[in-house]
Amino acid sequence: MPVSASAIYFLNLRGDVLINRLYRDDVGGNMVDAFRLHIMQTKELGTCPVRQIGGCSFFYMRISNVYIVIVVSSNANVACAFKFVVEAVNLFKSYFGGAFDEDAIRNNFVLIYELLDEIMDFGYPQNLSPEMLKLYITQEGVRSPFSSKSADKPVPNATLQVTGAVGWRREGLVYKKNEVFLDIVESVNLLMSSKGSVLRCDVTGKILMKCFLTGMPDLKLGLNDKIGLEKESELKSRPTKSGKTIELDDVTFHQCVNLTRFNSEKTVSFVPPDGEFELMKYRITEGVNLPFRVLPTIKELGRTRMEVNVKVKSVFGAKMFALGVVIKVPVPKQTAKTSCQVTSGRAKYNASMDCLMWKIRKFPGQTESTLSAEVELISTIAEKKSWTRPPIQMEFQVPMFTASGLRVRFLKVWEKSGYNTVEWVRYITKAGSYEIRC
Amino acid sequence: MALSGMRGLSVFISEIRNCQNKEQERLRVDKELGHIRNRFKNEKGLTVYDKKKYVWKMLYIFMLGYDVDFGHMEAVSLISAPKYPEKQVGYLVTSCLLNENHDFLRLAINTVRNDIIGRNETFQCLALTLVGNIGGRDFAESLAPDVQKLLISSSCRPLVKKKAALCLLRLFRKNPDVVNVDGWSDRMSQLLDERNLGVLTSSMSLFVSLVSNNHEAYWSCLPKCVKVLERLARNQDVPQEYTYYGIPSPWLQVKTMRALQYFPTIEDPNTRRALFEVLQRVLMGTDVVKNVNKNNASHAVLFEALALVMHLDAEKEMMSQCVALLGKFIAVREPNIRYLGLENMTRMLMVTDVQEIIKRHQAQIITSLKDPDISIRRRALDLLYAMCDISNAKDIVEELLQYLGTAEFTMREELALKAAILAEKFAPDLSWYVDVILQLIDKAGDFVSDDIWFRVVQFVTNNEDLQPYAALKAREYLDKPAIHETMMKVSAYLLGEYSHLLARRPGCSPKEIFSIIHEKLPTVSTPTISILLSTYAKILMHSQPPDPELQNQIWAIFSKYETSIDAEIQQRAVEYFALSKKGAALMDILAEMPKFPERESSLIKKAEDTEADTAELSAIKSRAQQQASNALVVTDQHPANEPPQVTQLGMVKIPSINNLENNHVDQEVTQTNGIMGEVEPQNGDILGDLLAIEGPPGVSGTETLTEEGALALAPVGELENAVKPVIDIAERFRDLCVKDSGVLYEDPYVQIGIKAEWRGHQGRLVLFLGNKTTSSLDSVHAVILPPSHLKLELSSVPEIIPPRAQVQCPLEVVNLCPSRDVAVLDFSYKFGTTLVDNKLRLPAVLNKFFHPVTLSAEEFFPQWRSLAAPPLKLQEVVRGVRVMSLGEMTNLLNSLKLIVSPGLDPNANNLVASTTFYSESTQSMLCLVRIETDPADRTQLRLTVASGDSTLTFELKEFIKEQLVSIPAASRPPVLQPTIQPISSSDPGALLAGLL
Repeated sequence: MPVSASAIYFLNLRGDVLINRLYRDDVGGNMVDAFRLHIMQTKELGTCPVRQIGGCSFFYMRISNVYIVIVVSSNANVACAFKFVVEAVNLFKSYFGGAFDEDAIRNNFVLIYELLDEIMDFGYPQNLSPEMLKLYITQEGVRSPFSSKSADKPVPNATLQVTGAVGWRREGLVYKKNEVFLDIVESVNLLMSSKGSVLRCDVTGKILMKCFLTGMPDLKLGLNDKIGLEKESELKSRPTKSGKTIELDDVTFHQCVNLTRFNSEKTVSFVPPDGEFELMKYRITEGVNLPFRVLPTIKELGRTRMEVNVKVKSVFGAKMFALGVVIKVPVPKQTAKTSCQVTSGRAKYNASMDCLMWKIRKFPGQTESTLSAEVELISTIAEKKSWTRPPIQMEFQVPMFTASGLRVRFLKVWEKSGYNTVEWVRYITKAGSYEIRC
Repeated sequence: MALSGMRGLSVFISEIRNCQNKEQERLRVDKELGHIRNRFKNEKGLTVYDKKKYVWKMLYIFMLGYDVDFGHMEAVSLISAPKYPEKQVGYLVTSCLLNENHDFLRLAINTVRNDIIGRNETFQCLALTLVGNIGGRDFAESLAPDVQKLLISSSCRPLVKKKAALCLLRLFRKNPDVVNVDGWSDRMSQLLDERNLGVLTSSMSLFVSLVSNNHEAYWSCLPKCVKVLERLARNQDVPQEYTYYGIPSPWLQVKTMRALQYFPTIEDPNTRRALFEVLQRVLMGTDVVKNVNKNNASHAVLFEALALVMHLDAEKEMMSQCVALLGKFIAVREPNIRYLGLENMTRMLMVTDVQEIIKRHQAQIITSLKDPDISIRRRALDLLYAMCDISNAKDIVEELLQYLGTAEFTMREELALKAAILAEKFAPDLSWYVDVILQLIDKAGDFVSDDIWFRVVQFVTNNEDLQPYAALKAREYLDKPAIHETMMKVSAYLLGEYSHLLARRPGCSPKEIFSIIHEKLPTVSTPTISILLSTYAKILMHSQPPDPELQNQIWAIFSKYETSIDAEIQQRAVEYFALSKKGAALMDILAEMPKFPERESSLIKKAEDTEADTAELSAIKSRAQQQASNALVVTDQHPANEPPQVTQLGMVKIPSINNLENNHVDQEVTQTNGIMGEVEPQNGDILGDLLAIEGPPGVSGTETLTEEGALALAPVGELENAVKPVIDIAERFRDLCVKDSGVLYEDPYVQIGIKAEWRGHQGRLVLFLGNKTTSSLDSVHAVILPPSHLKLELSSVPEIIPPRAQVQCPLEVVNLCPSRDVAVLDFSYKFGTTLVDNKLRLPAVLNKFFHPVTLSAEEFFPQWRSLAAPPLKLQEVVRGVRVMSLGEMTNLLNSLKLIVSPGLDPNANNLVASTTFYSESTQSMLCLVRIETDPADRTQLRLTVASGDSTLTFELKEFIKEQLVSIPAASRPPVLQPTIQPISSSDPGALLAGLL
């Protein structure tokens, strides 16, 4: 197992130590001064997250207004160290109830020390799962053994839990109504040239799950992905169904997913943790359905006038609609006056962002909308720098639409008691960086 | 204030101030700028009030650091507004947002001019301020006359005049060529009569600027300045508002004194006296008081007065008074004053002869070395350095040495260098110098540059009396437990060279010396190890009779380092090991270093010219190369059994610290190719200083001895040169005797080519002097030493040959009478500091004046017969002739332009040749030659020469004889005095005898 930390420091932006924990004695106590002098007070800060000073390596990252610095003197596993930091921050967030910043640290010194003791041992990362840790590191006061009031919940056996095969789920959960919520959230990244050809396009998606299930259920999820379908037809020796199949790249799963079964049968089967979690992440680079087409024409008429025409077409199903559509059409810095005409929504010049903000609250599918604006520029004394023409940016959300075309075919739940479950599936596509050059 | 009543502006400012962070502020500013742009675009409905408000906002945004690149039009247009608040903001924003290079300003010029020539004083002031702040060339061109008018107009209020003077000052400073100040001296002197001190101060600023430009025109103003000073010094008519802590307008005083310093001198005795009176008053009346501001003001005046006193070269009495005053200052507690006192004392030392008086304060200055303030310590050091002379050198240097121990690190190097220089410059005796430097190295080894110890080695080497003393000292220092590496270097070097002088003393036997040095070996760095190896070799050499134990020890060390990773050490170890095996030869090879030529201390040079002339530097460098290369070339030519050269090799090597050998090798390569490349020494500085430890002058002498065999024909005087030709000059000369162009001489720096044309008794030679190096050669001289029979005219030769250039020098030759004498060209030049002098024979020899003729038998025989008797026809039996066939001989004669007529002589073994000889005395003269060879014995022949002139006959006969006999006999003596003939020409018997 790789070493990932000899010491961990939490510093504020000025470089004061908020809290620290030394796991090994191979680094000196004054190491943080070196960090302050040689990293924080130089321009190097932020250029490279790993720096070596005097035989020690410093891995650092900034989270809100806190620097988390890991110091090692051996040849440590850097990826492991950063993953540790990220997971630790998630842990703290789940303990503090949201925010992780300087104040939160100052208010929870004791808790953090307790957690730091638990999540790393002699430089080796340990269990960082909030579900686990919350079993025995609690924020409530310790109940006095002499208290007459009996516990309203039986104290779960933490040891068994930690060492058990299913570390992420407690035994003995009971729900009156067994429900599963499945959200497929995709964000589309696009860079399109002014002539309409796609320069770069991909979709990153994740499947979020919320489970309220009794006992230890076993779940199986079927998607319309190519490999899964092929495997299935092979196993059941029947021809592949016609219909759209998609190829998923870079799939990553939550730790609850049984990877051996995924490797052999290409099915996603798992015992879910209780509550909300992210089941899997994926990326798709081919066969992306773009929800919107944008056709800009921007003409510079002389030094002080511009004409902007932007046509936006929605290409998803007519029954669907997009929400919160914002189109930012950039204009030069010296814009003085604008007059916009739109077929739907509202458009306004935003001086602090140097763009025309065109907002459409609800954009139905298979329709188009146009913006035509006249922009007047003020003459400046500075040498006429040609305007760089930044790309048009777009924000939107399209519910029940997946840019990748991914569909959930089935979600099966098995449990010993054989109760019925209710499954809910939602799809939503958002804009990532959706840019069109003009 | 104009801001009142502009609610929008104050709201905006308070909003900006309430912003939590920079990002919010930027958003707010961008929003506001968008709004302003929008409003400015809508010309309609923009009232003057709005314009004013937005322009104020722009100014505020601009002052916050954001770019504002629009709205200048609005700002400029506000200038022409009729009311003050608008005009004010217009002027203000224009002068903030625009600079003199903006074309936009041209729009404003006319409005500004209207304001300046207008009646309204406030507007005038605003306009003048704008011009003063951003007035560029355009402004100067169109407004300077108006401003000048304003300045001298009598109706102007002082307020306007002040601004006008300052405005004009700015215009003049920026564009002195545009502002016409001809005939301003009268006006200036009028202005200096001004009673109002404010106007006077402004005018004085202008005056200083004018005078600094051209003081000649303003002599008439000089007395006025003195008057102003008098008025201020006496505190007459100085209003309260111009008195600063009781000092009447210190600014004006300083400016006036500054102006006076631009005049070279003051001739008028009355003015001078008056001025000195004032200065005296200033000098006397200034005292150190408690109040800081008052102190500052009064001392500003005082030090300006001191500067003026120095400038005017006042009487000695006044000077000593100044020094006394300064002496008082350097004892004051206030550090600023002490600093100024020291600084001014240093300046005083430079300009006047007050050294003696300053010396009285030496103790006080030395105390200042211990001041807590470092800038004061530096000043004190500078002053001590400057005031040091032979009388106080000992004290000062000792003081510096003592101080060295406590001085901070930043100063130590400078301090060490200064101490070393002073010790060298003013040393009362040399042993003291050695003491000082050794102490210096001991105390501040890290800060002692190599130059310093090179220099001490140089001194010791050149002074025999000093050697035992220095060696003893070095030995003493070695006893210390921890010594600095530089000390190690110098001690090792000195002991290596001179430890044998101490041999009788206790603890100084070679063995003991070796062991004490060797103890330190593990602690030193690579460069020092190589010095130590040299030392061992020397110790080994000095231990006579050889001590086997010591020898084995040292050999063990050598063989250990033979595999060192450092090439320099490795080479030394290998070479010393091999050399030491040679036994007695070692004695010669590692003999004591010869003396160094006296040269300027590199230390002083280093201190004086930090930015040395690069050309000079490179010259020094290549000279060092040359020295090094010479040594190697010599050893190369003569194998190692030539002791003197090897000494030289050793000499060059020992002080070298870096890979000098590598240079040698490079040098050798380039030398053999005959090209002097620019082989940069890898260790420029050290090499440069090697020649601090540089080639001995005696070298050339030893070279001469060994070279004579090989270069017996070397030209006259050439032997003295350290720079050797890279070609065989004698051979070149012989070639040139039969050819008309070619190379006459070549050495690593210079190549001399020659090209000749001959017509009758006249000839024209062109010498091509080519500089092969990348630095120029100077002191080039070429003088012809003509023999009696030739008239030679050499056109002037330039003193300097630029780098890589070739100079042509035509040379006219007229042959007066026949002679075998040879003209000699004395060519000398200077490369770096070496003077190279060569005497070269010019190939203007007898046969050059031949004109080939071919004679038929009918023409030949009558002539041959007519010249019958001895003075005109001479015959001689020549023996010892070089063996050659008849064909070869024919070619030889033909090449000498003696044209052989084949078949003229019935005997096939005989050759008959003819030629025409031209000279002024003989005109054209037919010469006939007959050579009778003996097929049985090719080494002898009978030579018969006939011509119409007896001298010619004789000379020609001798010439041919030389050609037949000599070539290429090495033992032939150089033709130095050919007129003295060993054989009398009249007696053939004697002639024969002489040849036998």
